[in-house]
Amino acid sequence: MTAPNPPNWRTLAASVRGAAHHRAGLPNQDAVRVARANGGLPLIVALADGHGSAKSFRSQHGARSAVAVALEVRGALFEPDSLSRIKRWAEERLPLELVRRWRERVDRSLVRRPFAPAELESLDPASRQQVEANPYLAYGSTLLAVIVAPTFILYLQLGDGDILTVSASGEVERPLPRDERLIANETTSLCSDKAWNDVRVQFQALAGAPPALVLAATDGYANSFRDEAGFRQVARDLWEMIRDEGVAAVQPHLKAWLNEASRQGSGDDITVGMIWRPMAAATHSQPDPG
Amino acid sequence: MAKRPGGELATRPLHFIWIADCSGSMSVDGKIQALNTAIREALPHMRQVADENPNAEVLVRALKFSSGAQWHVSQPTPVADFKWADLRTEGVTDLGRALAMVAEQLRIPPMSDRALPPVLVLISDGCPTDDFNKGLQALMNEPWGKKAVRIAIAIGEDADTEVLQKFIGHPELKPLQANNPETLVRHIKWVSTAVLKSASSPASQAAGLTSGLNVPIPTPPVAAGPSSADDVW
Repeated sequence: MTAPNPPNWRTLAASVRGAAHHRAGLPNQDAVRVARANGGLPLIVALADGHGSAKSFRSQHGARSAVAVALEVRGALFEPDSLSRIKRWAEERLPLELVRRWRERVDRSLVRRPFAPAELESLDPASRQQVEANPYLAYGSTLLAVIVAPTFILYLQLGDGDILTVSASGEVERPLPRDERLIANETTSLCSDKAWNDVRVQFQALAGAPPALVLAATDGYANSFRDEAGFRQVARDLWEMIRDEGVAAVQPHLKAWLNEASRQGSGDDITVGMIWRPMAAATHSQPDPG
Repeated sequence: MAKRPGGELATRPLHFIWIADCSGSMSVDGKIQALNTAIREALPHMRQVADENPNAEVLVRALKFSSGAQWHVSQPTPVADFKWADLRTEGVTDLGRALAMVAEQLRIPPMSDRALPPVLVLISDGCPTDDFNKGLQALMNEPWGKKAVRIAIAIGEDADTEVLQKFIGHPELKPLQANNPETLVRHIKWVSTAVLKSASSPASQAAGLTSGLNVPIPTPPVAAGPSSADDVW
């Protein structure tokens, strides 16, 4: 399952506290982690957005647990011995495994640190009842992950947020279609009943033309642009900057850009993770080496 | 600093729509004058709340209904520029038509899926004279109609609170009863400030796990008892 001359994929991630969170004295409730094997692949970029509503008063921890379990299950993904089996495992078992492990982490957290009276007393009676009936609600979080292996890319999403790909010729696409149900700040979540049913997975074999860049972002980023075209342009612009000037054109400025987007846009926390192929940057005008 | 990637940045639109009963009965005992005064007096408070949250772009409109319905202020108007022209009364109470017209405006497009939940404030003193259920159904068929914060104010004892409760759609949230001008002012101020504030900075929450309100609604102002010496309506 190794591809000839696997490209040396690079990664970059950043997370900023939202402008509205600054005003309200709230922390950054997003989380992000990047990990790669010793040889470079597989690598994973995982992002999570803790809900932040009053009932999800530990969602910052829920988001951290979400990205941690994404890193854990990455290892299990390579136990099957063929691409078709990995695909099947990713589509059928991975969602269950993610939710199970996230809930185990929450359970352990609750044993170590049960809800304090002050945490519950701040809730209205109906919300308190809901949290007591479903303690996972206190930790509610989304999860986005992109796993790049020598022979495939796996895109995974539970809840709001966005994953965009940019081809070597600059075309921007969504590997996972938008979930039209997710408006009005409501999102599917790791804390939902049967959350595994809401996990969306897209498996892309790296046989044809792999993307040159993959961008994953929590919803605070897309919500900061006037329209979808403006947000898609982010991925294209980032790709062109990296392709033409290298990562040095992006890395030192990324947090400032995200802060500006939050301040002039959604006000929400913003987290991004990027994966790209320098090989594509060097050969963007050449036929893709595959 | 290097050029920022991406297109134009924009705060998230928050559509606030007054839906006002202008039927003939609203002319009795100064109800319509009291409503005009209450909304006009609430505007500075509304602007202040909007200023406190620069990440929400509060856009205000007003729809009036009597015999038929029509937009009183048809363009989504930034709250800083919004001016209130007095409503006048005539005819019956075609609330169903009004809700159908609001539903048309909550379609995607013209609405954007990145908007904040809209706030719909229905004010009425009577019973619908047309097919209210059809209008409500049209509203609830729109994703943004379903997710809108729907508040209702009943003016006087003759208001059909059952209909207003159906419009709200959440048993934990009741129509606000206003039986005198002072109470009406208080209710209008509450929706213009406390409700607007909640709607303009809602945190994300898990779908399907909550009691149905996607925006936490603050506690309404304490109402007087079932009847008060000050009641005129």
